[in-house]
Amino acid sequence: DSHTQYERVGADVTMKCGSMDWDAAVTWTVNGTDIDESHLNGSYLILKNVGLSQSGQYSCYEGSSWHLKYQTYLRVGTPPKEPVLMCRSNNYPKGFYCSWHLPTPTYIPNTFNISVIHGTKDMVCEKDAVPKNRCHIRYLQLFSTVKYKVTLTVTNALGKNYTALTFDEFAIVKPDPPESVVAKPVPNNPRRLEVSWQNPSSWPDPESFPLKFFLRYRPLILDQWQHVELSDGTSHTITDAYAGKEYIIQVAAKDNDIGTWSDWSVAVHATPWTEEPKHLTTEAQITETTSASTSSFMAPPTTKICDKGAMVGSGAVAVCWTAGLVVAAYSVLFI
Amino acid sequence: MAAADSPSTALRRRDLCSRGIRLAGKMRADVVDLLDTYVEQQGLDASATVAAMEGVPLAAVERWDEQTGTQRLLENLAAYRAFRTLLAQMLEEQREQLGEADAGLGRALAAVLLQVSAFTYHLEELLGLESRGIPGEEGDGPPPPPRLSLFEQKLRGLGVLRELAQWAVRSARDLRQLAKPSPATGTAPGLAESP
Repeated sequence: DSHTQYERVGADVTMKCGSMDWDAAVTWTVNGTDIDESHLNGSYLILKNVGLSQSGQYSCYEGSSWHLKYQTYLRVGTPPKEPVLMCRSNNYPKGFYCSWHLPTPTYIPNTFNISVIHGTKDMVCEKDAVPKNRCHIRYLQLFSTVKYKVTLTVTNALGKNYTALTFDEFAIVKPDPPESVVAKPVPNNPRRLEVSWQNPSSWPDPESFPLKFFLRYRPLILDQWQHVELSDGTSHTITDAYAGKEYIIQVAAKDNDIGTWSDWSVAVHATPWTEEPKHLTTEAQITETTSASTSSFMAPPTTKICDKGAMVGSGAVAVCWTAGLVVAAYSVLFI
Repeated sequence: MAAADSPSTALRRRDLCSRGIRLAGKMRADVVDLLDTYVEQQGLDASATVAAMEGVPLAAVERWDEQTGTQRLLENLAAYRAFRTLLAQMLEEQREQLGEADAGLGRALAAVLLQVSAFTYHLEELLGLESRGIPGEEGDGPPPPPRLSLFEQKLRGLGVLRELAQWAVRSARDLRQLAKPSPATGTAPGLAESP
């Protein structure tokens, strides 16, 4: 007969060859490979201090006939440690969900059982298909001072464990981060960035349950964030950006009255508007280098190399006077 | 059944709702602070579970989203009228227990009582905009409680403040619902129907 046998890591395991006598001649295999006789005590298979790698299908065959006398699937694992449980309402006031996991794997199948009590009333936590370790509850009451108690029990063939959470309705409210965060430069404004976002789609009724927002931003080259809290609206204009510097921007959300802040949104990058630099010739570049200040920011937008009005000469020989100066300077170098 | 609001009624309702929402927010913040002080001064355990006590209006409600505007206003009004009486009782008990020893707690209670009265006024004004009128107060409010022990008084006070904090959140939500314009008639949703 064939069945599954669960044993703890480090245990000593003795397997009998079904109903065969102790002194019967048998051969044991694991996953089809013969097991050395040194592991046998008569017809019993002795495995000392089993490890995870010894999981497998063990078979026992009668010595001469090679009839299969016994088969078992050995699964080596551990009893469950205390599970980690989290409950959160990201869709207030519709309900909340709880999710869980084990801090370390057991390597054998586990069953989770969750119970939710509101005062004395049992509530059903409906398991989600995906992900498996999650269930959700619809609120039957709102604005209750009575706490919820959620108990999670995990059981496997080697033992069981549990954990419990007690909380009130408001404490677990935490929206998902804002979505579709967009940051754009503002034309002709070198120190502004326009940021907009949307309420998280999981928040069912932002009109009756409005969210407030927290914006943070910094130039990539600096570590310190600037923060702005916004009590309404889903856009904001940053007015103190460093010209020409790329910024990283994130937004978080919170119910106006209760609960905690969401995680930060996906970060977006943007650089404030700067004037398009004119196309530079070689001579003009030298002029720029020698006459420009040592500032690391972009050149002042009004710099022009060659005005039409500064042209000297006419026809095919027309040059602008600044270019002429540069040529003259270059000529001096080569004298 | 009410006809569509006049523009001035709609404006007045919106104004009362937005002021009421702000007042509810301030009230809640003050009640939460008061709760901390109260628990400390009365030597209570902040995590103590207080059973529902007679006469203390519970904020908990089922099918909140299905309530009509009228239901919301009536339930809020009944609750805050009860809180007005309960807080006045607490203030009296406070003075008996501690006299002048803890004027700070007494002042904080009085400040919250004032806000509860102001909020009650807002609710009465909102109800006045409906053709229903405002229910009278005779027979309203909790019956005078049996003489409670000192410890029972303290626990009751804890229950009152906790429920009031919940109510302040609920009321802000209720007023936001009321302030929503109804697409068809122009009235706030639910106000046109009677429960």
